[in-house]
Amino acid sequence: MVKERATKLAGIGVIVASTLVAQTRAEYHFAVGPKAGVSVSNPYGSISVKPSPDNRVVVNAVLHSDKVEVDRNQTGNRVDIQSHLLAGADASSGRVDYEVQVPPDASVTLHCSDGTLHAERLHGDVSLEGAAAAVDVHDISDAHVHVKTMNGAVTLSNIQNGHVEVDSLSGDVSLNGVTGPLVQVVSTSGRINYVGDFGNSGEYRLTSHSGDIDASIPEWTSADVSARSVRGEVHDDVPLQPKAHTWFPLDKGRAFAGTVGRVALSSTVILRTFSGKIHLSKRSEKQ
Amino acid sequence: MTCVELQESLAEVEDGTTPEQRAHLRTCPACSALVNDLNLIINAAVGLQEAEEPSPRVWNSIETALKREGLIRPQKRAGSLAHSLFAGWTGRWLAPAAAMLLLSAALLVHNRMQTNTVSEQTAFTVPVPNPSDLNDNDLMQEVAENAPSMQAAYQANLQQVNESIRDAQAVVDESPNDEDARRSLLDAYQQKSMLFELAMDRSLP
Repeated sequence: MVKERATKLAGIGVIVASTLVAQTRAEYHFAVGPKAGVSVSNPYGSISVKPSPDNRVVVNAVLHSDKVEVDRNQTGNRVDIQSHLLAGADASSGRVDYEVQVPPDASVTLHCSDGTLHAERLHGDVSLEGAAAAVDVHDISDAHVHVKTMNGAVTLSNIQNGHVEVDSLSGDVSLNGVTGPLVQVVSTSGRINYVGDFGNSGEYRLTSHSGDIDASIPEWTSADVSARSVRGEVHDDVPLQPKAHTWFPLDKGRAFAGTVGRVALSSTVILRTFSGKIHLSKRSEKQ
Repeated sequence: MTCVELQESLAEVEDGTTPEQRAHLRTCPACSALVNDLNLIINAAVGLQEAEEPSPRVWNSIETALKREGLIRPQKRAGSLAHSLFAGWTGRWLAPAAAMLLLSAALLVHNRMQTNTVSEQTAFTVPVPNPSDLNDNDLMQEVAENAPSMQAAYQANLQQVNESIRDAQAVVDESPNDEDARRSLLDAYQQKSMLFELAMDRSLP
């Protein structure tokens, strides 16, 4: 019995050791000017981007085997990083995990298939794309934030003055404190959850074909809201001043439209689903 | 010249100024409206200000697409990007397929907007007999070859997005003047187009 256990442990030890040996770390530095462009493409693995303290792009890569290498190229103010899969590489051996530091004003394009995409504390444009990639973006200001996923979950937090566009087929989308001139989410079957005050003077369009849409707003919100579910239900716990005229039928339980708060400061909020449920609720929160 | 021939000819002369195009447009309000819309878009594009320059993402996408098509080459750096991810890309059909999908959707919605007003427009047909089935088999074959572990996920999402197209289409048919419905239909097509794009990207390894 003891011998069997020792054999198993030794086997596990060999596997762990060989994995650790196979992993290699690499670090690359690039000097760039203001508003640099940084692109990272990584079929397998995660990419995390944070601000650097100076005008340098620093790339830390953990390569999980010798069947993958990191190709990098700098052309002027633009840096391109790509994981280059060699013969025989698969999702495990071809994995690379990146931690990248960029100047906060850099425009960043991240691409992976099934890892995690993460970006934070930047004020340049951020574009993230991946079929099964889970996306997490927070503390971005004055920038475009574009996300495309198939079934990866998307979480955006504290995006201020953003031009936000999220396209996801079946991944759930969560927005917390996301405001800006345009905030748009289009999903086929994913749930959409918005927590925030809809800013002011922006257009917020949350659409899911069959997913539910939940929006939770504080008392001081000013917004011109319309919600409609073709085959599903709509609920609102917010006192709305009903609109005198709408161009779509306000079937009870399937649609509502009205204004909350001060009209002069209001954003336009459009919530649409075909067969999902829409719920607009008010939450108590100190301003 | 038929409506379909006119639409095909617009790829060469998009403003409808050839004698054949003009002759058809005089008798076909639907195609005439389409050409007017195209001209409107062209004129609006000319008037775009520099301040409205697209985000870097757009340029990145264009650059990437051009690299994929072999129209431009990445600058070589000692045997690195020369073997870039794009070298083994086999799904060249997916990009035009995705673009065709969107174009078809736009034409389809445009067509639906017109059908209730002019009876003659029944002749104006979209060159895609069943858009919800467009290239689905090719898409799944591509995924099966390049990303077999993702096959089930793509299949499920493809099915969902096709259902969403059918649902949105039904609402548009029911209420052609419903702006929401038309937008939902376009959204559904765009979601399907995105699925093609993602499959294309997924084939990069």
